[in-house]
Amino acid sequence: MKLASLLLAGVAFAATTGMAAAEDLKAEVFTSWTTGGELKAADAIKQAFEARGGTWETSSVAGFENANAAFQNRMMAGDPPAAKQVVIGMEQREYIDGGLYMPITKVAEAGHWADVMPKAIYDNVTFDGEVYEVPTGIHGESWMFYSMAAFKKAGIEAAPADWDSFFADMDKLKAAGLTPIAWGGQSWQETKVFNMILLSQVGLDGFRKIYIDRDAAAIKSEGVRKTLEIFGKLRGYIDEGAAGRNWNDATAMVIKGTAGVQFMGDWAKGEFSNAGETAGVDYGCALAPASPGMIYIGDAFAFPNLKGAEAAQDLLAEVVMDPKVQVAFSLAKGSIPVRTDVDTSQFDVCTQQAITLMNDGKIVPEHAITLTLEQTGMLTDFVGDFFSNPEADLDDAMESFAEVFE
Amino acid sequence: MKHRIKRSLMPFGALLPTWLAVVLVYIGAMVWTLRLSFTNSRIFPTDHYVGFAQYEKLLSSSKWMAAAGNLVVFGVLYIAGCLVIGFLLAAALDRQVRFESLFRTIFLYPYAMSFVVTGLIWQWLMNPLLGVQASVQAWGWSGFSFDLLSSRELAIYGVVIAGVWQGAGLVMVMMLAGMRGIDTEQWRAARIDGIPVWRTYVSVVLPQLGPALAAVSTILTMGVIKTYDLVVAITNGGPGTATEVPAKFIMDNLFQRQNLGLATAAAVMLLMSVLIVVAPFRFVSSMRARRKAGVL
Amino acid sequence: MSVASVTPRGPKPGRLTLGRFGLYAFLISAALFFSVPLYVMIVTSLKTMPEIRAGGIFSLPQGLDLSAWKTAWSGACAGTECAGVQAGFWNSVRITLPAVAISVLVGAVNGYALSFWRPRGGTLMFGLLMAGALVPYQVFLYPLVRWFATGHLYNSLPGIVLVHILFGLPLVTLLFRNYFVTIPEELFKASRLDGAGFWRIFAEIMLPMSVPMLVVAAMMQFTGIWNDFLLGLVFAGRENLPMTVQLNNIVNTTTGERLYNVNMAATILTALVPLVIYFVSGRWFVRGIAAGAVKG
Repeated sequence: MKLASLLLAGVAFAATTGMAAAEDLKAEVFTSWTTGGELKAADAIKQAFEARGGTWETSSVAGFENANAAFQNRMMAGDPPAAKQVVIGMEQREYIDGGLYMPITKVAEAGHWADVMPKAIYDNVTFDGEVYEVPTGIHGESWMFYSMAAFKKAGIEAAPADWDSFFADMDKLKAAGLTPIAWGGQSWQETKVFNMILLSQVGLDGFRKIYIDRDAAAIKSEGVRKTLEIFGKLRGYIDEGAAGRNWNDATAMVIKGTAGVQFMGDWAKGEFSNAGETAGVDYGCALAPASPGMIYIGDAFAFPNLKGAEAAQDLLAEVVMDPKVQVAFSLAKGSIPVRTDVDTSQFDVCTQQAITLMNDGKIVPEHAITLTLEQTGMLTDFVGDFFSNPEADLDDAMESFAEVFE
Repeated sequence: MKHRIKRSLMPFGALLPTWLAVVLVYIGAMVWTLRLSFTNSRIFPTDHYVGFAQYEKLLSSSKWMAAAGNLVVFGVLYIAGCLVIGFLLAAALDRQVRFESLFRTIFLYPYAMSFVVTGLIWQWLMNPLLGVQASVQAWGWSGFSFDLLSSRELAIYGVVIAGVWQGAGLVMVMMLAGMRGIDTEQWRAARIDGIPVWRTYVSVVLPQLGPALAAVSTILTMGVIKTYDLVVAITNGGPGTATEVPAKFIMDNLFQRQNLGLATAAAVMLLMSVLIVVAPFRFVSSMRARRKAGVL
Repeated sequence: MSVASVTPRGPKPGRLTLGRFGLYAFLISAALFFSVPLYVMIVTSLKTMPEIRAGGIFSLPQGLDLSAWKTAWSGACAGTECAGVQAGFWNSVRITLPAVAISVLVGAVNGYALSFWRPRGGTLMFGLLMAGALVPYQVFLYPLVRWFATGHLYNSLPGIVLVHILFGLPLVTLLFRNYFVTIPEELFKASRLDGAGFWRIFAEIMLPMSVPMLVVAAMMQFTGIWNDFLLGLVFAGRENLPMTVQLNNIVNTTTGERLYNVNMAATILTALVPLVIYFVSGRWFVRGIAAGAVKG
């Protein structure tokens, strides 16, 4: 690790001296990070980037649809930013195939990224042998957050470890007059829950077979049917105001203790800590019942081809992978550093658990990383439609699920 | 001779900038859209033609069909709701009431607010546990139900309510401007003849508002076709596809799913269907308006 | 507003008949319905986040906490700069004023030329404009961005103003065309016999008569352009980003924390300028301007 950082520093030195004027190291960074923790996280990169001679200009647009619209049109006009915050994996495939991004393979090789990153993530940022994206951190998104107070009131001792005991516990919560599941009724949130159950039913390999290999047998397997059964059963444990609910409103229900559990990604921790709650004391975090591992999604920077910005882009790529920056970023954002060689002592219990899983290779990428954007959209449609229709037929649903991958 | 030429060229000259915009921007962009709808363009335009494949895909998409169906329901109810409420409000304000500016601003303010947040408010108001239902039940009417958004059958009506709330004020203003343009003599005459006020509005004022009504209806129709923010903010198309609308389908494919070919095909299809439905209706109403105004 | 002297009609205000009572009852209940979301927004903006989480969207705030307003105006972060919505205020003004003024004027000229002079091809142009307005404008962004980039208009103030004028053409043209259609043709013919030309009739007769429509068109264009987000984001360039870009960044996060109190305050603040315009525009909503001009 020491060697790596020495090397990094060396490369950075060469880059800065080579380019001399800070003018040449100006980078306009296009992100969707606009609030609290997100901003602190972005600022960690900014500070480090500027400490090494760069000039950072922020362009932020909240909301993925808006950000994509603005970014695509800027690419169309030939006026790209120097760096764009992206989701690792397939999201940027079209741009990369179109030759619109600059590969950063040299930086990656100089920094030995392949050795310090889990292989799964390194694969996500590598396209046809070239590295195009530098991950800022990954989010574990198969978490079940639960209210300690609500569990106590319902007489539940610990987080349920399998789905049978989960439903038994949900019945206890119901009997105690609480809402068992704080449900965010938007299809992107529902898709995350669907994936959590799927992982618990088909295992890490099965999950990869479905979403990475698109293996027909795995897609039509019994595990998928079981997933749909369990997923459908959840309908009986949500409150009547769930439709369209934002995830943070669902989190508020757990914070208040009027609901028992919420399935969500680790960014929900930001809401808990804003409300003054501590992990392991006021609320608990556990992987979804029967999970053999964790599903992740990750953010990264990609670098559009932009004349004169190459030096700044290389520097930014280095800075993002700097061990200190990785830690500072993830501490602020509630995510997980992608380096396996960093000091993890400052992270909370939930993140510690996630880091262990990551280092053991017990992580799988979510669908958005491995499917095309169109397939991702179709999956979201499918899940939203299935969940909102209590009469949905399982056989039909199995077929619709398979259609996503055609 | 010279004078005459100048006179006949002048109106054309005055319209020239608009003509330029129509030809270059509107026709240009429409032709571009039409062309792309026959390609398999994904994120950037390509020249790879695929015939009617995108249209076939569109017609076999249950989401698009749902969106089209929702548009009809939403469009009819939204336009009718806005017109009726807007007209009533305008007529009431036209009765020379106190605090007219205040009332007008109250009816119009929804139009000025970003729907990202007001949509969230409507989501809260229609939430059975937070909003109107919970409050009314707390006041003692325990059977009261106002829970539209969780139901696949009713959610679209929830969107209509929020839409009318947003759009009725606009109709009111336009109707009011029209009413204020009506000759005061006619009012005097109606009063002398002893015609009650409400009948004067229905049989004297309303017919004269014909062109204004046509303009308002057209503007509302344009609004319906482009309805996007409203749905995204309140339901995001859900539950399931219960409130999916074409503009959202197009936007999703344009910027989220990177399917330019399908998005442009959807835009063409939308335009064609609307023209088929609206064109004859528009033609008749504009002819009638002209005849009434003595133009023809 | 004292307009009573110009408008000899209806019962005098102050005489409270049953009809007047019903009228006010209708207006007040409608105003209450329209105000409910605003009420929720205001009380929410005055609460602290724990209060909001505790629920009760209608409940009054425990204390008068104005900090959310302060944050929304000048402290809320958008990107790594924390300047609130005020950061884009002047940009919005710089974009909106010229765009509204020019587009309303162009619309008035178009409507006048189309209604009275009826030049060859006018109906076709109008039809094409209306058809263009039926396509979600997002579809037009790609080609337009390309053209603007080639013409060096991209990322500039004139560029964004021009975009707003282009997209506003259907609306303003429609409004004025349908307004002028209602003005008796004799008036126009008489002026022509007097020897007045195209622009003189427009400036001296038609423009003064169309004050209510000018106000309505300006109001609609102002609201539309002031609230625009996507066009500003795409065309204005980093130096000219309008207020709504900041607003979006404050309210529209996906995985970040949502400070509802700040969101509400920011939304109301952004809408304040249109709201003030709605309120003061009342003095032009006076019966008799158009009618008086006809007689005179």
